[in-house]
Amino acid sequence: MQTSTERLNQRAPLHSRGRLQKDRLLFSAIGYVSLTLLALLCVLPFLLVVSSSLTEESTIIVKGYPFLPVDFSLEAYGILFKYPTQMLKAYIVTIGVTAAGTLLGLFLTSMTAYALSRKDFKWRNHFSFFFFFTTLFSGGLVPWYLLIVNYLHMKDTPLALVIPMVLNVFYIIVMKSFMSSIPEAIVESAKIDGAGDFLIYARLIIPLSKPALATIGLFLALAYWNDWYNALLFVSNENLMPLQYYLYKMLGNMDGMRKAMMSAGAVVTTTIPSESLKMAMTVVATGPILLAYPFVQRYFVQGLTIGAVKG
Amino acid sequence: MRLHKFLYDVKRYRTILLMLAPAVAFFLLFAYVPMAGIVIAFKHYDYAGGIFGSAWNGLANFRFFFESGDAWTVTRNTALYNIAFIAVNNFLQIFAAILLFEIGGKWFRKLTQSILFLPYFISWVVVGAIAYNLLNYDIGTVNALLKGLGLEPVDIYNTPSYWPFILVAVSAWKTLGYGTVMYLAAIAGIDTEMYEAAEIDGANIFQRIMRITLPNLYPTLIILVLLAVGNIFRGDFGMFYNMVGNNGILFSSTDVIDTFVFRSLITSNDIGMSAAAGVFQSVLGFATIMTVNYAVRKYDKDRALF
Amino acid sequence: MATKKSFLLLAVILLIATVLGACGGNKNSNSSSTPAAESSAPASNSAESSGETGASGGIDTSEEVKLKMIFVGPKPVDYDSVFGEINKKLKEQINATIEGEFLDWSDWAQKYPLKLAANENFDLIYSANWAGYNDQALKGGFLELTEDMLSKYMPKTWEAMSKVSWDQAKVNGKLYMVPQNRGESVEKLILYREDLRKKYNLPAIDSPEAYANYLKTIAQNEKGVIPFTPETGDWKYHNLDRVLLKQENEWNMFDLDMPFAFKLSDPKGQVFNVFETEEFKDLANYYKDLASNNGWSKNALNSKNDHQQDFKQGKTASITHNNGTLGALMALMRQENSPYEVALADINPDKAKSVAISTQNGTSIHATSKYPERALMFIDLVQNDKELHDLIMYGIEGVHYEKSGEDKYIATDKNPNYTGFSNWSFNSPLNRDNVDFPQEASDLVKKWEEQVYHYPLETFVFDNSKVKTEISNLGNVMLRYAIPLEYGVVKDVDAGLAELNKQLKAAGLEKVQQELQSQIDAFLAAQQ
Repeated sequence: MQTSTERLNQRAPLHSRGRLQKDRLLFSAIGYVSLTLLALLCVLPFLLVVSSSLTEESTIIVKGYPFLPVDFSLEAYGILFKYPTQMLKAYIVTIGVTAAGTLLGLFLTSMTAYALSRKDFKWRNHFSFFFFFTTLFSGGLVPWYLLIVNYLHMKDTPLALVIPMVLNVFYIIVMKSFMSSIPEAIVESAKIDGAGDFLIYARLIIPLSKPALATIGLFLALAYWNDWYNALLFVSNENLMPLQYYLYKMLGNMDGMRKAMMSAGAVVTTTIPSESLKMAMTVVATGPILLAYPFVQRYFVQGLTIGAVKG
Repeated sequence: MRLHKFLYDVKRYRTILLMLAPAVAFFLLFAYVPMAGIVIAFKHYDYAGGIFGSAWNGLANFRFFFESGDAWTVTRNTALYNIAFIAVNNFLQIFAAILLFEIGGKWFRKLTQSILFLPYFISWVVVGAIAYNLLNYDIGTVNALLKGLGLEPVDIYNTPSYWPFILVAVSAWKTLGYGTVMYLAAIAGIDTEMYEAAEIDGANIFQRIMRITLPNLYPTLIILVLLAVGNIFRGDFGMFYNMVGNNGILFSSTDVIDTFVFRSLITSNDIGMSAAAGVFQSVLGFATIMTVNYAVRKYDKDRALF
Repeated sequence: MATKKSFLLLAVILLIATVLGACGGNKNSNSSSTPAAESSAPASNSAESSGETGASGGIDTSEEVKLKMIFVGPKPVDYDSVFGEINKKLKEQINATIEGEFLDWSDWAQKYPLKLAANENFDLIYSANWAGYNDQALKGGFLELTEDMLSKYMPKTWEAMSKVSWDQAKVNGKLYMVPQNRGESVEKLILYREDLRKKYNLPAIDSPEAYANYLKTIAQNEKGVIPFTPETGDWKYHNLDRVLLKQENEWNMFDLDMPFAFKLSDPKGQVFNVFETEEFKDLANYYKDLASNNGWSKNALNSKNDHQQDFKQGKTASITHNNGTLGALMALMRQENSPYEVALADINPDKAKSVAISTQNGTSIHATSKYPERALMFIDLVQNDKELHDLIMYGIEGVHYEKSGEDKYIATDKNPNYTGFSNWSFNSPLNRDNVDFPQEASDLVKKWEEQVYHYPLETFVFDNSKVKTEISNLGNVMLRYAIPLEYGVVKDVDAGLAELNKQLKAAGLEKVQQELQSQIDAFLAAQQ
């Protein structure tokens, strides 16, 4: 009985039982060609971004974005890292918020999803609707802002960055869907053995849901990592600014400041390379997550099969 | 008697209810409480009155949308684009996920998976700028290539008919990596015994995919589609605004409710009017998902959202 | 197992408690504070607020007050040192200190209305017509300023500011801001490449024809240089319309937000639909001609490029903007020893120039401020007291700037540490000009100030609350049908005009026109 990992890790044999497996060959051909094409389409624009971040601003203005750096210049990065302590603080805040939010979010989401996936729970559809309804109707920005700032007093606290995003209906429902595919027989036999619901969840379902947890965990982490909106609304303390917001502010300020100063007749003595800066920002914000992603990937192909557990 | 049974059920399900409690409390607080603000759509909002004290003005805030003459066009555009996105994106993601899962080379797989994720990290502002760099008439890469091949350059930014294709392609490109992850996880959860059995029976890989993988992906697909359907009348503002900008020529084929409302309210900044647009989108979305979910229930009770 | 259950229980209880706590709070978004009653000031007032603590010319300043003002723009690097100095002097004079809160350029649009909606605690806020002044005033965000208050608490400003400026800042007849005290003319003009003009021996650019000639010559002969690049943004009119439509025809175009205008010289202020005039038709053809000759990029409407950067890099040969901005750009290019020679062009030199509406920059008092009088006194000082004005506008002398006579300054290399935010609401005749600002730009400004045309409808402000819907729809129509027409993308100009006007009528053109005209008539009648 093989696990999918084992199945995956052995090179799919082109020859099996002595015969050339034509279908595998065709499949591989289609697969490699299509994936390479898609990958190219995805990497080339990113190449554009990286190269532009390393190109002289004036060249970008005259010639547009280059695929490879022209007139190499580290000016944009210089500006970004001009205040390294601020940048470092921003990274720390983001990492902290992402870690806390993802862990808490994963726990709460999986627990909720499990409860909803239980087919013997007679009110599960009612609760599902209760949750789903919140994605349809919304009171808008003003009431939400008032709630968080005026009533919950979460302004300028880490809570404001973590809590509003910790639960998301989309993730709950997706995870519920994954959990539903776990055969009921397993749950039944555990119940017969006398296990309580929470125990079943913690000891049985969680280990079997590794791909789901990895997926939702990744999504949560990405959501937290990329969030600048909550910071924009709720954070004015410079020590609590997450990375994306810090970068976004920097760009916005440079653009706006230059325009403002010029409108006021002030003579601007420095030119701000806003094009290459935008690109450098993208690289700086993306880098860490992209480096971490390969380590998380294995969870998507790993997964104890039901068969292994049955025995 | 009813109450008795109800309390009995509560006791029976007490652990499950407890497990649900944090989420319930969360959404009550962060979603249902602010939902009261929907009334802004029917009020003439001012700061002194706030949300509950401001005067009612009935359906006045809805007028700007319905009297504009564009209401039908933008609504139609929004829905059609979302349908196209749902169809194309999911198809591509399933396609890529299956390939990735079954492909042999370990390094190729890992590398490709990471690369596919790159577009997700590029903000729409940057994507819009890149698109302009590639597609513009004078020095765009696409037109440079065409000219190099001796062909006539194409004025993409002034031709509405190209844009549905462009936007669908860009949307697919941007969400490919993200969505593929979901399907990969789903495929990873499929019992390998079925594959072994099929292989022994002589099924080739294409047959295995068609007969085993795809049917096992339907639940995930249906759930994702249902989740998307509730938002079928909401346009991705970031994408449309940054790609199309204020180029009025393209609006007939690219304007969606969100961009239309944004432009209408730039100068007036009216909270009530933008809330009204939101209510319109919500009501339509609600009607749609209720219908679709009902239909799915009839077909297969377990596949429905609720 | 028991611990797991109790952990769960605890989490649940905590969350429920939060919910209950929140529900128990007042649901009304406005806390119970009412606009602060005027402080118990003695009836007499004097024109001076001299440097005495405890009493300031009859106004009781014995209570120390901490004022808070919201600015737009980022917090300057040297905020602490400069505001420290400001507060020293402020305390001496009116026993108050000022604290600034800053809304960055990246998020002011979202945060500004939220600050007002959430009734946060602040006393003053920067306000401007481009920052939704009208709207926020009508929603009740700002305190109404009466003549009494002004003459009592900011006598110097009351005297120094022209009546026109005060009147232009009124919304529905009530005043909600203290505008800047500077009649800057924001007429737009053109910046172009003098070196190219000389290269092709073109005549001076002082008329629309000469300008068109310039553009076409560049298009033909300078490959890779775009003759004109518009500024990107949500404009409802062509970037050059302020020059070629408004100034050329001497119209008042209501800030180019609506399809209406009236002739400056028309005493009755008859309002007409711009798009039905002969002048516009001619202009549309003029633009079409330019567009067909590659006067600007075919995809100009989608370009996200910064037209000033493009000009600086030689990618484009002319741009339009206001005097201050263009002058600053010129100075910058010269400082950087740009290979291009640049010059300003006023292509309608003999036409009437209007003064900018005073609500370009202003300060408003928060409706629920507890210290409106002290706030007004603060504004009075920073607009009219030379020392405080210099401090708040330019920073610390010797650090951020050097004085150059009474009305100029030299920027030091630390200048960027105290700039970039909205202190322009304190503009006043005490302003200093940067020595590096090009002389030709300043000369042009002076020339225009001498040509300023005053007319009775100068202070008319349109109240659009009854026709908000129609105005949004008209705006949309303009963006969709007028802009492409003006940028020459529509092949058949006459058909395009017909379609545009048809759409405008469908969007409620007549209703708005009637409303506008009736308000103008009432305004004129009231002036008799």
